[in-house]
Amino acid sequence: MEEKILTKDFGLKNLFKIKVYLQQGGYKAVKKALEQMRPAEILDEVKKANLRGRGGAGFPAGVKWGFVPQKTDKPKYLCVNADEGEPGTFKDRYIMSHNPHLLLEGVIIASFAVGIHSAFIYIRGEYEAVADRLEEAIAEAKADGFLGKNILEIGFDLEVVVHRGAGAYICGEETALLESLEGKSGHPRLKPPFPASIGLFQCPTVINNVETLANVPAIILNGADWFVKKGLPKDGGTRIFGVSGMVKNPGIYELPIGTNLRKIIFEAAGGMKDGKTLKAVIPGGMSAPILKADEIDLAMDFDSLVEAGSMLGSAAVIVIDQETPILEVLKAVSKFYSHESCGQCTPCRIGISWINKIVRRIASGQGEKDDVDAIICLAENIKGKTLCPLGDAAALPILSICRKFRQELEGQLSR
Amino acid sequence: MRITINGRQLDVSGKKTILEVARANGIFIPSLCDHSALVPFGGCRLCLVEIKGRKGYPPACSTYAEDGLDVTTESPALQAIRRQVLELILSEHPHACLICAEKKNCDEYKSTIRKVGEVTGCVLCPNNGRCELQDVVEALKIDRVNFPAAYRNFDVRRDDPFFDRNYNLCILCGRCVRICHEVRGVSAISFVFRGSQAVVGTVFGRPLLESGCQFCGACVDVCPTGALTERASRGEALPDEEDETICPLCSIGCGLKASLRGGRIVSFAPTNAEAVNRGQACVKGRFILRDVVYSPKRILKPLVRQNGELHEASWDEALDFVATKLKGYVGKNLGFISSTQVSLEDMHVFDRFTREVLRTDQIISFRNHSPLASFWKELRMNGQPAELNFELDSISTAKVIVLSGADIVVSHPIIWVEVFRAIKNGAKLVVINGKDSSLERHASFHLRVQAGREFSLFNHLTLKLLENNPENPYSRVNGYETWRESLLNEKKAAFARADINEAEVDLAARLLAEGQPTVFLMGPSVVNSAAASANIRALWNLAQVCGGRLIPLAGENNERGAFEIFSRSSDRVLSVEEALFKISRGEYKSLYLAGPLPVPPDAAVEFLVIQDCFMNENVQRADAVLPAATFAECGGTFVNVEGRIRKFKNIIEPLGEARPDWWIICRMAEKMGAAEFGFENAAEILSDLGRTRPFFEPACHRHQGKGKAVFILDEKKGSGQFPSGESPELAPQRAAIHSSPAASARALDYYRSLNLVEESKGLRKLRGLREK
Ligand SMILES: Cc1cc2nc3c(=O)[nH]c(=O)nc-3n(C[C@H](O)[C@H](O)[C@H](O)COP(=O)(O)O)c2cc1C
Ligand code: SF4
Ligand code: SF4
Ligand code: SF4
Ligand code: SF4
Ligand code: FES
Repeated sequence: MEEKILTKDFGLKNLFKIKVYLQQGGYKAVKKALEQMRPAEILDEVKKANLRGRGGAGFPAGVKWGFVPQKTDKPKYLCVNADEGEPGTFKDRYIMSHNPHLLLEGVIIASFAVGIHSAFIYIRGEYEAVADRLEEAIAEAKADGFLGKNILEIGFDLEVVVHRGAGAYICGEETALLESLEGKSGHPRLKPPFPASIGLFQCPTVINNVETLANVPAIILNGADWFVKKGLPKDGGTRIFGVSGMVKNPGIYELPIGTNLRKIIFEAAGGMKDGKTLKAVIPGGMSAPILKADEIDLAMDFDSLVEAGSMLGSAAVIVIDQETPILEVLKAVSKFYSHESCGQCTPCRIGISWINKIVRRIASGQGEKDDVDAIICLAENIKGKTLCPLGDAAALPILSICRKFRQELEGQLSR
Repeated sequence: MRITINGRQLDVSGKKTILEVARANGIFIPSLCDHSALVPFGGCRLCLVEIKGRKGYPPACSTYAEDGLDVTTESPALQAIRRQVLELILSEHPHACLICAEKKNCDEYKSTIRKVGEVTGCVLCPNNGRCELQDVVEALKIDRVNFPAAYRNFDVRRDDPFFDRNYNLCILCGRCVRICHEVRGVSAISFVFRGSQAVVGTVFGRPLLESGCQFCGACVDVCPTGALTERASRGEALPDEEDETICPLCSIGCGLKASLRGGRIVSFAPTNAEAVNRGQACVKGRFILRDVVYSPKRILKPLVRQNGELHEASWDEALDFVATKLKGYVGKNLGFISSTQVSLEDMHVFDRFTREVLRTDQIISFRNHSPLASFWKELRMNGQPAELNFELDSISTAKVIVLSGADIVVSHPIIWVEVFRAIKNGAKLVVINGKDSSLERHASFHLRVQAGREFSLFNHLTLKLLENNPENPYSRVNGYETWRESLLNEKKAAFARADINEAEVDLAARLLAEGQPTVFLMGPSVVNSAAASANIRALWNLAQVCGGRLIPLAGENNERGAFEIFSRSSDRVLSVEEALFKISRGEYKSLYLAGPLPVPPDAAVEFLVIQDCFMNENVQRADAVLPAATFAECGGTFVNVEGRIRKFKNIIEPLGEARPDWWIICRMAEKMGAAEFGFENAAEILSDLGRTRPFFEPACHRHQGKGKAVFILDEKKGSGQFPSGESPELAPQRAAIHSSPAASARALDYYRSLNLVEESKGLRKLRGLREK
């Protein structure tokens, strides 16, 4: 059932060394793209592949690259989003630590396609060892002529810099990431303008997730049609599902896009741990609305999950069993977002903090009659009304938990 | 472009937000974080609206009008959103009074108790009655907050001069952070922490004094709540009157709004509509000016020395006394000092009085060499017309700005604001200063040069530019070759002497060759050295070669006026330094001080008159002391650094027996038997001035169109010739007496003879001076 594109050689020892990587056919895609293709052809191929962003929003990568103006007197930048702050998500670390050169290949091809000469990898501060590994890989690639000046002697230059974050979830949001990279505090910017026109240091900028870029070499080598066939017509390729929680074999599973969620849990991850019963699943990282046990016969692709009222997000599948009180889940969610709100806008800053206070009150046994409704009312006034999508990321799971598990929650109210 | 708001079709021109369009058309959309001087922020989320065909609720403050937009600003859904946003804000903000049922009756019973430390509700808030949060709560008719109070319990920060910061009242609208960062270019404050811990603060919570704050007050003025409040007016009741005036404390002449209560000035703040300062001011105009007017050092009664002691006297007695004595010095041995901070009207009367009555051919003004006067004189000597007028806009629209000889953040804060505006629009700043200042962090190049050797750098920049230009248009100008040779020959030595980094000069020259338009700002330290002539000529040449504009920066409020009246058409003006030199040689037997002059203790002066607003070190030995009114007590006209005419009227009645300077002199002249000094008001003097001096003709029109800039007449822009090939080295050195650096630093912070640094502990700390 597994379909390995990205992770196919991950079992190899020392794959992160360029020597081993080259033995597996590494940097072939870069050679093909830079030596045989024109930037416009690469762009077309990625567009046709329907490679959708793996960072959360699922925006088609080719279309995003196409938004960057061709003619501009400003430099253009690529930022790789390796902040991976979404609770439950650990796929990017897996890619970067096992196969940093795969990511670099994606970075080089994307930069070549868009006409970029400086790329930044914004990595979360906690991934210290991974960042070191990336830096080593960059040095290796540079020594072998895949990075730096005059790459492959075709006259293309590219420098890649690893930038370590300082531990704020919001810096994974693309415009906050840019602010942080510019040395300011991580506060999201108003959109429009979008980064493709005004991004890093006011210059056109592409921001992509690690996994998104890591897919690019395979598309270049095998073609868009092949890639689409691996997944769905409007959503090509595979996803790396990070399964955690009460399953037998938590971990990373690369599967075709559109794989059934039940299969992921009960076949790939080996089913529930210690004979426990399934209660609920968060299918795409903490900001995805929760699914009840009877809602999991679902194809795991962007559109199907939206239809089901949730989202694929970062494809981090969090499995919750019957014994786990839903209040615990709600507590974790509200605590996380109230801590991670950047504080710029009122509904998110004060609203989530109130939700968190009310949830704590319920947990301490002091819950009041209308508390669930109060939480719903607060969350409704956050949803769609904040400056950046973090508001939604908090409000949507909270709303889904309150609505789908209202009875259980109300059972905890004392008054 | 046409948009629809609530069914009303509205025409829109230019790039405007929906909120701006709504405001311009009298449609109310609640808002708190938006401010007209700032880039949209979208933080408070009060201004959300509905737009047909768009999902969700876009914020009006940061959504731009597009043709055909159909906007709804009122609906039950919007009402609910705004109510909840406000309730959330109020849950953190001491709000007891806002929602109190007895609110209406409260005003009758409460007394003003605003100086309390902790604010628990509006009654105790220093901002009560002028709070934008109150206004919005009122407009949305909030009478209930669905959350229990969750106040933040911060300590109020009172460790800085001039204003307190009580972040318990802060709604995190970010206006203060943004104005400091976007408009003042200081970034002393910022958001710190995140989520519900978010608050405004300084780096590591240090006091503002240690965070680069200039105490311009911009943050205080944009704060919608009582979080930032001026300490001096905390205890005051709300003003009952407002009036406009012009700040006399530097050459910008900021438009200020005076708030008064019971005929007394409570505070000054910049006016928004003002073309010169556009809502900005500086620490002096914003926080110190009030105390200047009401300084305990004010002279309030005429004093006359009898039997060795100063006695109070009536005006009649005092004038008689002085007039009689002065008669003995007419035509000989008399020095008259005029302040550069008095009005044109005062100066005109001084000028006529000294010429027609005292019959002295000299008048003393300018604390230092005025950049204006020095620049004008030097160009005159080289047969070039010297244009002095400019508009601040020509700075904010420049592409390259070269600044030399001043730390304008301190000396010309509003010019700095314009320079910063240019930088934000992509302009490059080149700073040529001997000393470090806060400017360098914004500069593309900081060319360090030893003071007094600036010409060396200017000349080499010019040479570089010319040699990089294949069509060097000056190569055939008479003397060019000699000039070039001499520069090349002693380049190494000159660079070493002036402490110049050659590589940087090359890069800066390249920048100057690209940038158009270019503006050169020349501050006082360029003209306050033995190399003044060489400096001015070299900078002028450089400006010519770049096709740029050279602007000499007048320092004091009416320095331009003093230049026009005393210097332009005669050679009668001496600087204070030159006067001191003469005093030391015993050339003055009598001194009339209508301006500041530290009379040395050993000066052999027989008769000393002081006409000033403030007691000063000369009073002890004065024979008569005549109380002059401050700018606030008499109307008049200033000419600011741009050459712009700044009219002001009196906002309060003269304190004590103080009288306008012109009044004192006119009455004195009459006592001395002079005719034609019968002026009864400033307007009469101004028309007399306009009659005799064509330059001032534009100043004489009584009714200036509001918002229309009026400048005094000026020479037309020069032809742009290269002033001769004469060697720019120190050959024609001016045999002037040069001021010490201490004197020029001090000159910055005076009003008349009042040393603001001595008066204000806060200013003393800000200027980095030690406690006395
Ligand atoms: C609050 C918030 C946090 C986010 N965190 C991440 C993150 O950690 N990693 C990531 O790749 N994208 C994250 N995103 C999504 C990015 O904003 C952005 O959409 C993504 O990096 C684009 O890359 P893609 O198109 O390749 O997915 C986050 C978004 C939000 C709103
Ligand atoms: S929604 Fe939250 S994280 Fe996003 S800008 Fe507003 S306060 Fe910051
Ligand atoms: S007083 Fe001026 S410089 Fe200081 S924090 Fe406020 S805006 Fe910034
Ligand atoms: S201190 Fe005032 S201006 Fe600054 S964020 Fe708070 S409320 Fe806004
Ligand atoms: S900048 Fe000058 S004119 Fe303006 S307030 Fe300050 S001292 Fe007064
Ligand atoms: S005024 Fe628009 S969000 Fe504050």
